[in-house]
Amino acid sequence: MSQVNLAPTFSTQQDARPVLLSVQELRVWFELRRFGFGHAGYVHAVDGVSFDLAEGETIAIVGESGCGKSSLMKAILGLNKPTAGRILFEGQDINQFDAAKKRWYHSRVGYVQQDPFGALPPFMPVRRILEEPLIISGVKDKDERMERIRKGMEEVKLSPVEDFMEKYPHMLSGGQQQRVVIARAMIMEPKLLVADEPVSMLDASVRVEILKLLRALQERHNLSVIYITHDLSTVSYFSERIFVMYAGQLIEKAPVRGLIDRPAHPYTQALLTGTSEPDARNALTYKEIPPGEPPSLVKPPSGCRFHPRCTRIIKGECDVNEPLEFTIEDRHSVSCWLYKG
Amino acid sequence: MAETTLSSNIQAYQKKTAANTLTRLLRYSAVRLVTLFVTVVVGVYLTILIANMGGYVDEILRGEIRERISVSISQNPAYRDYTVEQRNQLIQAEIAQEEERLGLNQPFLIRSLSFLRNALTLNFGRALNMTSDSGSRQVSLILLERLPSTLVLFGTSNLLLFFISVFLALALSRHYGSWADKIIVALSPTSAAPPWFYGIFLILIFAAWLRVLPFGGMVSAPPPTNRLEYALDLLVHMILPASALFLSSIFLSIYNWRTFFLIYSSEDYVEMAKAKGLTARDIERRYILRPTLPTIVTSFALLLIGLWTGAIITETIFNWPGLGRTLYRAIGLYDTPVIVASTIIFAYLLAITVFVLDFIYALLDPRVKVGGAQ
Repeated sequence: MSQVNLAPTFSTQQDARPVLLSVQELRVWFELRRFGFGHAGYVHAVDGVSFDLAEGETIAIVGESGCGKSSLMKAILGLNKPTAGRILFEGQDINQFDAAKKRWYHSRVGYVQQDPFGALPPFMPVRRILEEPLIISGVKDKDERMERIRKGMEEVKLSPVEDFMEKYPHMLSGGQQQRVVIARAMIMEPKLLVADEPVSMLDASVRVEILKLLRALQERHNLSVIYITHDLSTVSYFSERIFVMYAGQLIEKAPVRGLIDRPAHPYTQALLTGTSEPDARNALTYKEIPPGEPPSLVKPPSGCRFHPRCTRIIKGECDVNEPLEFTIEDRHSVSCWLYKG
Repeated sequence: MAETTLSSNIQAYQKKTAANTLTRLLRYSAVRLVTLFVTVVVGVYLTILIANMGGYVDEILRGEIRERISVSISQNPAYRDYTVEQRNQLIQAEIAQEEERLGLNQPFLIRSLSFLRNALTLNFGRALNMTSDSGSRQVSLILLERLPSTLVLFGTSNLLLFFISVFLALALSRHYGSWADKIIVALSPTSAAPPWFYGIFLILIFAAWLRVLPFGGMVSAPPPTNRLEYALDLLVHMILPASALFLSSIFLSIYNWRTFFLIYSSEDYVEMAKAKGLTARDIERRYILRPTLPTIVTSFALLLIGLWTGAIITETIFNWPGLGRTLYRAIGLYDTPVIVASTIIFAYLLAITVFVLDFIYALLDPRVKVGGAQ
């Protein structure tokens, strides 16, 4: 993988920043019913995920579609109830909040969706879209609301502000729509931003601008960002650490450079060779894409969930025992029996 | 200097766009009205052709006149002394006079065109056989007399049906997959049976067997004189037909709306609203009901004008003196003026509703621009 010019250089040393969000042994299972009645098992969408996110830290969660990224994200947003495990925000369990505390939590977490057009209600002008979070959180003064909307729009470079205030989403371009979505996520000045593939639906020409914008916002407000994507090539724009997710579990956690230069898990290695940099030289290179398909989340494979597709399987170990998490270098850990010792 | 020319340019531009909007609206309205009018004309003319059975009703009427006049003259003692020839002459003369009075001496094609002109100008004329309760043959009187009873029955049951199904559907879409949801979905095929089918069973159970409710009619005979008692009596008579109408479509209607709301509640912006921490009620009002408003308004408007036709068979079953039963009798009696009048009023109501709805859409949905495609 060639070097991306804009890739920031983050320090890889253990930082002393306070933990903002702590996910502990999170499980999100969905019950399946046969013909709408009898119990027919669970979809193990998220199955034992743990990580800490520091204040001002940006992480990326990568994985194929159907690996449980979105379920994890929705659990963090408080939209999915965890089946087991806890999500702590500033040390408090978000699923034990009462209504007022919940509203406070929602104002601390911004959410940027994948499809900007779908994320904006088509019957509301931009001003109304941005005003609503303020109204919900009880900003009574109309002038103050307008002032904050103006500030928020300038921050995402939707200027001149007046030109966009009364526009409806369908009158804006894709990039402008995504700026409105970001402005809406930022208007409450959150501490955490959850971005679910924020650029995958945009034109290539607009992607870099939106990514730069997100990074500028992150630096200015010392935001923590969870960036969810299936596209490794955009990760290095503004992430410190990458988590690789497979079949509901985080199988490798590492700083960006460490993961890209020295991928440990066979799945990560395969994923990286499968990543296409927009470079003509890559057009003819052979890409070793992992054979087979992601496993069923209803009956996940025994042992390591990747073992049916793995080329370096250890018979009698990988297909029997679930791998433990091994730390192979500073802040780089992997769940794979190859690194047992 | 440059700025002033710029601002005056902007003003001129704004004026121009405002004028453009007005001409666009006017042109659109004109084109739309003309096309709707053509639709109405075609619909009404087809109704005239069908209600007259392509002119065959004229033959039937001629036959009736011939028979009536021959019988009345041959049985009239005043003409007993006339010879057969003289009597025939008399009969022919009277038939010719009667046919001329009814316009039957003209070919049907010409008559149909004059029917059309009268119908379009809301000049309904006189019924052939039917009379109003006060004995008038004025078609407009016959129909207007029936309107209140239809409105009372259908207005009540359809409005109840509409609001109950929309609100239950909204609640169900929130509890998608619950027991209540499954029961409603399972029951929705019951709406395949028309209301009169339920009516027959309701009459059998509650009128014939349990004897708690009347078989039919609108009030008891003789009707109560006290106002309150009259209203109560009307209410008791309304229970069975209203339940039949309600039962026959409630489940399908809830199912329809619930599926419709479900589609809209899976939009990204609804998810976003949840993530922002809006309450379920606010989400329903602002993010689900709001974008579905055009559809809700449309079906409500169509429901309102649908009251005009009533329900032909259901009213007949329950002996309800409404427009539907009047239409049923008119069809049986070949009373074409009544049939045509009922149709033309519905056609006009429908055309006006469609026209007005276009503008309502533009008000409700910012993406819709009236005449924007032109």
